[in-house]
Amino acid sequence: MWSIALKTLIADRGKLLTALVGVVFSIVLVNVQGGFFLGLIRKASLLVEHGQADIWVGHRKMHNVDFPRDIPQRWVNRIRAVPGVKRAEPYLIGFADMSLPSGGFEQVAVVGADQASLLGSAWNVTQGNPLALARQNAVIMDECEVQKLEFPKVGTTREIGGRRAKIVAMSHGIMGFLVTPYIFTTYDRAASYLNKSPDVCSYFLVQLEPNANVNRVCEAIQRRVPELDVFPREEYGWISINYWMTRTGLGISFGAATLLGLLVGMVIVAQTLYAMVLDRLAEFGTLKAIGATERQVCSILLIQALAMALVGSILGLLAVWGIVYFYSTPRAPIVVPVWLSLGSCLLVLVICLVASLLPYLRIRNVDPLMVLES
Amino acid sequence: MIGSQLDETITKPIAVSTEGIHKSYRSGATVTPVLEGVDLVIRREQCVFLAGPSGSGKTTLLSILGCILSPDQGRVQILDQDISTLDEQARTAIRRNRIGFVFQRFHLIRGLTSLENVCVPLTLQGMPHHKAASRAADLLDAVGLSHRAHTHSHNLSSGECQRVALARALSADPDLVLADEPTASLDATNGQEVMKLLRRLTTEEGRTAIIVTHDQRIFPFADKVFHLENGRIAETAGSTSTALLESER
Ligand SMILES: Nc1ncnc2c1ncn2[C@@H]1O[C@H](COP(=O)(O)OP(=O)(O)OP(=O)(O)O)[C@@H](O)[C@H]1O
Ligand SMILES: [Mg+2]
Repeated sequence: MWSIALKTLIADRGKLLTALVGVVFSIVLVNVQGGFFLGLIRKASLLVEHGQADIWVGHRKMHNVDFPRDIPQRWVNRIRAVPGVKRAEPYLIGFADMSLPSGGFEQVAVVGADQASLLGSAWNVTQGNPLALARQNAVIMDECEVQKLEFPKVGTTREIGGRRAKIVAMSHGIMGFLVTPYIFTTYDRAASYLNKSPDVCSYFLVQLEPNANVNRVCEAIQRRVPELDVFPREEYGWISINYWMTRTGLGISFGAATLLGLLVGMVIVAQTLYAMVLDRLAEFGTLKAIGATERQVCSILLIQALAMALVGSILGLLAVWGIVYFYSTPRAPIVVPVWLSLGSCLLVLVICLVASLLPYLRIRNVDPLMVLES
Repeated sequence: MIGSQLDETITKPIAVSTEGIHKSYRSGATVTPVLEGVDLVIRREQCVFLAGPSGSGKTTLLSILGCILSPDQGRVQILDQDISTLDEQARTAIRRNRIGFVFQRFHLIRGLTSLENVCVPLTLQGMPHHKAASRAADLLDAVGLSHRAHTHSHNLSSGECQRVALARALSADPDLVLADEPTASLDATNGQEVMKLLRRLTTEEGRTAIIVTHDQRIFPFADKVFHLENGRIAETAGSTSTALLESER
């Protein structure tokens, strides 16, 4: 049965290729479009995801990592006393202007991390030394943002908030959801760039003891600082993502576009497959006339649908992998998680099965007699 | 000579018999009656022709005899089984195990070689591949096509296709072989060849054959010719095929 199914499937190369292109196209469409979407919204939680903190503590009703409210810095001591907390450090995020050589200004997001631990500071540093932040006026920026800031280099000195800032290192790929480039520095220096009193900060970043339970520690912290909100890392990441998705309508419009792409791909697959099976109705009629049972005809169809879905999915995922490899950039990242790939393959499989079984219902009604007539 | 032949066949058991078969096609409100009381008796090891004008219902009758169509009325007995009472599953089993079809347009399966096409009925029966392949090779040899065993069916000439179709019809070792205009798309020589093959591989091996045809040139191969007209069997004619075959040897 297998060999009959596969050989007859291969027999019509043109149709097979059309249908395969449809499958590959849908897989690529779903994964790449979904990947762009995920890549974009992930930017909204970039600092949270990479900040090395297990728990984020901030102002009541905090809803976006980039737009914090001030909280009293001294409360950090209350958190440090909570059992299970290995380290808790204040963290500062705010906006200031950077002066440019051309005489203009560009707004930047200044991020201040504790000088000793550098908890929540720049990661993936590719040029210079991140530890050089200890030096006077030292800041770190991302090499992907140099264009906005008129091409500074490691060693370049600029002014932020009217104070000197010397770029000592550059990271690669830290591009947030906002158009403002991140500038990483120490907590105290950030306070001075932002013109804030060092008595206030934006968040407390908490790291846990090795086998402490995140939720339990969160509850304990919450009891110590009832005035603040306490979230595990993943949750605050989602809150930040949700902020942009719901407040900008991004979720709906991008999601709808992705769904639409999905629909188009599915329709292509369903239609080519449907046409392919319809086209071969006479052949199935022949098989029935020479004694194939319903089950045998059905299993031939299922094997063919399965083979199509499998080969198409593999080719499609290879193409997706290539696209991600060559075209994913920090500015427009394509994030394709395993669940998205597997989900799209599953969807294609279901569509293939349905699209080949629908004409089968017609075969059941078509008499094997048609073979004798035509 | 003719008399003794008739005597001989009359003593054979009955392979196919029908009583009062009625069949009409319905499309919307219009009803087209095609068969209006067909009675016939065909004995084992006979080669019987079904002739008649176009549209007289030959294909329809053959389909009913082949368990492909059900009559509206009447009784059909095939190889000791009353098929009018069988359900679809049992009819499929009869088609698979006891009946071999040769379709007018061959209807070989695209993408399969001659050998694989001949294997199909055996595969449907669940025969393991190597066994099926060796039986198919023997049959292709019998129809003189062993050199074409691995040729794809779309690369065969129509005469070759016809012979592959015949081999396929015989592969499941059926008791009854049904052929719808097996020589219609062949020239005179090829037609004669196929008919000789058909006779050799059917009646001479104990099978019964029913052949629909317009082709006057092959009538000598029939033991009996049924003429179908106006929905009934109009006339039955004997033939001297055995004598003819004998004289050719
Ligand atoms: N599926 C169908 N629906 C409606 N009418 C049909 C159908 N099949 C056949 N007919 C009609 O039934 C009649 C008999 O058809 P059938 O095919 O049995 O004739 P035939 O003797 O085989 O003709 P031919 O020699 O041309 O093959 C024809 O008038 C045909 O139009
Ligand atoms: Mg006909």
